[in-house]
Amino acid sequence: SSQLSSLPLQILLYVNGIYYIFYFLATLAMIIYKSQVFSYPDDFLAPDLAVLFLMAILEVPRLYLGFKGNLTEAEAPLGLSLGLTVGSVVLCVYLLLWQTYVLWADVLLNALLLSAYGLESGLKVTAIAAFVS
Amino acid sequence: PADTPDAAQARARRAPAPVTDVAKLCVCDLLVAQCDTNCCCDPDCSAEDFSLFTTCSVPVVTGDSQLCSQKAAVYSLDVDANPPERIFKLIDQVNPSIFCIHATNYKEAVYLKSPEIPTAENFDQFLDKFGGATFSAEPDSWNLDTDAQNPPDANETYRYEYGVPVQTEDAFLRLPSPVVSSWCSDANPAGFLVNQATKCIRSVSVEKCDSIQALSMLFYINSSILAVPKSSQMVNITVQSIVVQSQNGMRTLLNSSDVLRLPMVLDGLCINAVLGVNYHITHTDTGEIIEAAAAFVLGAISKEALSIEQSFEVSFTQENTQPVPFSGNPGYVVGLPVRAGFWPQGYPFPAGFLSNKHNQLTILQSTSTQDCLAAQGARAPVLFGYNMVSGCKLRITAAMKCQPLAQTLLDVLKGQSFPEYVASFGNSQAQDVLDWVPITQLHISEQMISNTLQSSCQIPVSLGIEVKWTKYGSLVNPQARIVNVTATITTTTLKQLPSGRERIIPVTSSVVFTDISSPAEPSYKAWPTINIKLPFDFFYPFV
Repeated sequence: SSQLSSLPLQILLYVNGIYYIFYFLATLAMIIYKSQVFSYPDDFLAPDLAVLFLMAILEVPRLYLGFKGNLTEAEAPLGLSLGLTVGSVVLCVYLLLWQTYVLWADVLLNALLLSAYGLESGLKVTAIAAFVS
Repeated sequence: PADTPDAAQARARRAPAPVTDVAKLCVCDLLVAQCDTNCCCDPDCSAEDFSLFTTCSVPVVTGDSQLCSQKAAVYSLDVDANPPERIFKLIDQVNPSIFCIHATNYKEAVYLKSPEIPTAENFDQFLDKFGGATFSAEPDSWNLDTDAQNPPDANETYRYEYGVPVQTEDAFLRLPSPVVSSWCSDANPAGFLVNQATKCIRSVSVEKCDSIQALSMLFYINSSILAVPKSSQMVNITVQSIVVQSQNGMRTLLNSSDVLRLPMVLDGLCINAVLGVNYHITHTDTGEIIEAAAAFVLGAISKEALSIEQSFEVSFTQENTQPVPFSGNPGYVVGLPVRAGFWPQGYPFPAGFLSNKHNQLTILQSTSTQDCLAAQGARAPVLFGYNMVSGCKLRITAAMKCQPLAQTLLDVLKGQSFPEYVASFGNSQAQDVLDWVPITQLHISEQMISNTLQSSCQIPVSLGIEVKWTKYGSLVNPQARIVNVTATITTTTLKQLPSGRERIIPVTSSVVFTDISSPAEPSYKAWPTINIKLPFDFFYPFV
């Protein structure tokens, strides 16, 4: 067909956006819970919160560029989105492995997000290949 | 050989490593190299010991239960086997909660902090903090230098509260007192509104007379007191009076107390050495100090004396009040004197009471001679809650006249100024008329049944004071309140003696305290009543 935009990528980006809102609120609530129940000094609390907010700031342009690139069938925004995804993956791995307290719920949420990122990246690469050729 | 002392030092510096293996942890293993009873995890116990146990006092040893999965050592006794044997299982305990800790990157999260070991570098810091005879959890609160870090708010008004150390220019008002041993320690602060009296021993020598600071008056009055904490308003400590104590203990009050007398050596004695200081601090009812005065007792130290005893006292008075010592606040405290006074004569009644010299109710005090007429003047204060009996013997000769004898005995029994009112609470003020209970005076005369002549002489032989008190206030903290005081004088007939004969009659006085508090009765809340009124036309068609 003449349509090059990838439908699975679009669906995944949409679902990723909704899931990310839930993920951000849940992780923030869990950090607050941890700071009340466990001993969580400020030196350890500050980096964890900074990483979470940085990830939220990265997510907005990442998703926007992904939508735009896929719908307009342009490879430049999609490529930029792929680059931002790498940054998000790094921050997600930090929250999965190097947070001060990693709860079981943290492991589930981050694993899910990582798998979504992985699938997205694969679909973006396929889409870019389709647009370029 | 050169590195073994270093290695030993390095070993000594590290605290013993914490044991974290659950298989090796045993909380009930208290005796070394001996088996603890019912302790299933004790490595010193053999199989025969286990067969004698009845139960396992420590069934499970685990780490922090908030971890998702952790090792647990489970100990149990198999009582069905013959002989009973201990079962030890190492299992993985799983926390099913979704918020269990999967991993932590913060070591102190699940382990206790290791204590700091003193080394050559941090030893001085530890010595400063903990090296004195006493150390407080917050030593910085007394150090005024820390105010530079948080400057006080302009709108915040400080004031002294009960127990807060009274601050002076450099540190705080010192009340030297014995700490641990009887030697004086100068680090004891005087607390606001805490009336204290201390006695301690200071080591002195005549040679160092003028160099020992604590012997000079200047040491006690040179720094002014801050009116409120952390303020710049100062109150100078004035010298109220100076009393000089001679070598044999006689004290003389000096006329002029404005001259500062510093210790100096004279004729081999160290004179003007401070033997006692009495601080009197006046404050307002908002916790601000407005006046401070010190009364000194100076004495002389001889060459042979190696130490002297110093006594210090601090008392706080609110401005515009007379310092009346309370016998309780508000209820009477057992052992404190019962306060009493008179209603001064005059019409209309002026406000307030006058009290006898010591504001107390007093009773005759028994002396060793037991002679009533010789014992005039010796009286003991009536202490709340303490029933007392005292007495003396009266030798009656034929030459004694009845009326003067009766009057003398009444003086002996009642004292020079027997009060008319007794304070009902320990802290009753003289202005509150209703807080004072009148003393009811009763006269009972013992009369021989056969002798009914009223004209014969009646002399008082006993005084019985009965104080009725009740518990007042809350059930949790009842306060003692005097409700009724009755003084009963019993008189007896004095028969005329033939000349040359003499009789000895006993004279007694007693004080009895009776608790008339009624038992507390429980009261129940009234059951709620349902207040329903049917409307006027409820039964319309039928009525």
